[in-house]
Amino acid sequence: MVRSPSLIELETVRYAYRKNGADRVLHNIDLKIRPDEYLLVCGASGSGKSTLCRTFNGLIPHFFGGSLQGDIRIAGIPTTEQSVGELFARLGMVFQNPEAQLFNRSVEQEIAFGLESIGLERSEMRKRIAETAAAAGIEDLLPQNPNELSGGQQQIVSIAAVLALRPQIIILDEPYANLDPVNVRRVRTALKKIHQSGIGIIISEHRLALTVADAERMVVLHQGRIVLDGPPETILRQDIESYGLELPLAVAVGRRLGLAKLPLEIDALIPLLPEKTAGDSVPAVSPAFEQSALAAVLKVDRISFHINGRSILRDISFAVNAGECLALVGANGAGKTTLLKHLNGLIRPTRGCVTVMNRPTQRLKVSQLARYVGVAFQNPNSQFFKLTVWDEIVVGAQALKCYDESWIRELVQLFELEPLLMRAPYRLSEGEKKRVAFAAALAARPVILALDEPTAGQDLFFRRSLGKLLAQLQQRGQAVLLITQDLSFAEQYAWRWLLLADGEIVADGLPGQVMRNQAAMERAHLEPTDRFRLFDREKT
Amino acid sequence: MGNLLDPRTKLIMAIFYTILVVASKGLYWLLPEWGALIAFILVIGKGRDYIYLLRFSLPMTLFFGGVTWWTAGMESGLRAALTLITLVSVFFVFFQTTAPEDLGNSLVKIGLPYPVAFVFSTSLQFVPVIGRKAKTVLDAQRSRGIPMEPGWSALRHYPAFLGPLLIQAFQLAEELAAAMEARGFGHPGRTFYKDYRMDKADWSAIALSLLLLIACLVRQYIWN
Repeated sequence: MVRSPSLIELETVRYAYRKNGADRVLHNIDLKIRPDEYLLVCGASGSGKSTLCRTFNGLIPHFFGGSLQGDIRIAGIPTTEQSVGELFARLGMVFQNPEAQLFNRSVEQEIAFGLESIGLERSEMRKRIAETAAAAGIEDLLPQNPNELSGGQQQIVSIAAVLALRPQIIILDEPYANLDPVNVRRVRTALKKIHQSGIGIIISEHRLALTVADAERMVVLHQGRIVLDGPPETILRQDIESYGLELPLAVAVGRRLGLAKLPLEIDALIPLLPEKTAGDSVPAVSPAFEQSALAAVLKVDRISFHINGRSILRDISFAVNAGECLALVGANGAGKTTLLKHLNGLIRPTRGCVTVMNRPTQRLKVSQLARYVGVAFQNPNSQFFKLTVWDEIVVGAQALKCYDESWIRELVQLFELEPLLMRAPYRLSEGEKKRVAFAAALAARPVILALDEPTAGQDLFFRRSLGKLLAQLQQRGQAVLLITQDLSFAEQYAWRWLLLADGEIVADGLPGQVMRNQAAMERAHLEPTDRFRLFDREKT
Repeated sequence: MGNLLDPRTKLIMAIFYTILVVASKGLYWLLPEWGALIAFILVIGKGRDYIYLLRFSLPMTLFFGGVTWWTAGMESGLRAALTLITLVSVFFVFFQTTAPEDLGNSLVKIGLPYPVAFVFSTSLQFVPVIGRKAKTVLDAQRSRGIPMEPGWSALRHYPAFLGPLLIQAFQLAEELAAAMEARGFGHPGRTFYKDYRMDKADWSAIALSLLLLIACLVRQYIWN
């Protein structure tokens, strides 16, 4: 096989966002990338994945400035001698946040934007837009406002807008971050097709289970250095967990069994396994308490919610007991967050009622309910406004007039926030911010703690420490409600699942029971976890 | 409806209508001018949005009309209120039939710098995004017991609302700038996907509205 020469070449690249070179993010990076590769750049949060990607198309140094040393060459020419304007059409970039990335008023104009930049004739633009829209299957979306699309559609449109430029390589920064499993599958399929058509793919992502099967090459970053580089088959045999990366289950099992060829996906593993033996059933997640011994702290009684003639929630009932960890699982748009907002009165039900500690909540204000129901929303940045972490944690409790210093000290210890207390919340890493937000949600000693997508975008280190925390909270009798589409996390840490689809609870039970209910899972647009499929394979 | 005429034609017609309204001498002229707009709004099926707008602009109209009534008499007061509401209606019709993006891009063709037009249409695109962020901040703060309901107590907690919102808006602005850069914004030699051309329909519409404007002005100021 004739290998094409490399398109992107990095030689001893060092980079810091600050001009004076302090807090360096990349250290001595050497990397060559051919134009037809499918490359996965992975590493824990803060390892420098996004920063590395920004060097490929000249955003670093042209847009972000900072201090750059070493050479970055595209097709042999240093990026310092080419502007982003000269590079963007060859090295298309798809950013993580679709909100910032889609800035035109129609999908058609969104795709046209880059084509206008390279100065194409109108007839050629028309041709390329039609071609790209057909290839991406978004013809019917062309006249729509990108603001009004679903997360999956937005991601496809972002890719199409870059694809229309006929780039040599498309660079994607965590493209699956905000997508549910069905949309992840859609985008993965689209990327595979693009790669088969001869366009290179560079994808930055820390969730290996979603990416290793597609990639031809993996680069592992750790604290700004490339620590591993090679085909997934080889890299996945190394100790990558110490770099904050979770081995896909299929790989972990394959390694344990000493298989000659590592299966990268559960589908590839299952045929290799021996027939199931008796007693080899799904290991139950052992609850720390007997459910019967507990009292319900929160009851949701047949609530429905309509808005503008649309029915968002229908006839929902459930109860959460003290010391229980319950997961509310469902795909994007199933109504999870709407239901969450009913629990603390941000939204009032059209019908039905929510009871907290046997008190109906219709007449309680949100600020009164905040004493009983602690909520940490997905993005901690939407609540930080104090100058120190300590102030940020106590501000809610002070407003509610239930500030108890000894309790806050306990929380600080539990969440391991001691070293961060005097720092500014905005300067923390995303994982640290989440821990602060969780502590803040518990500051008023609520009887139930609700966490909205706590693991979204978080790496293995964070997931493990959150898991440990949840166990400790349960031992203290704290009721926890996880609102999530991260089924593998919910499977490990929640006793019971409520499966939400189109605003209805379609299944309720142990994680295994819910996942075994195929009709309900399909309705919810979710797929069973790898772990479940592995142990339950005779039935699937 | 929106694509019958060039955005520039619609802009010129809106300017003519504004002149007509401002120059109108009395209620006899203002009432039919307003009526014509209402009829047009109903024809293009935007009655519901229009009622919403009226409800929104009513306090301002009453205040403006009331003050004029008090200082300059009843007729002046009514005329002031009516002028205001008719002008608001002219803008309503204009923006209902013209996308800001189209207006901006067509003005680029006659010399408006592209970045100005871009900022104009893009900032409107981000109004709902910022609105959603504001709602999220309010929800997050209320959820931990910080009162955000309108009132004096909320005033004290304003930093809790503005702080996170501003920081997020700045972050969004930086991400947007990077995304624009990566799609060639500012690269010389930009072409435009949509074509804006003034054709016969545009010129006749402009001529006709100019004639009407002159006729109305002559009738009011010379042959009255």
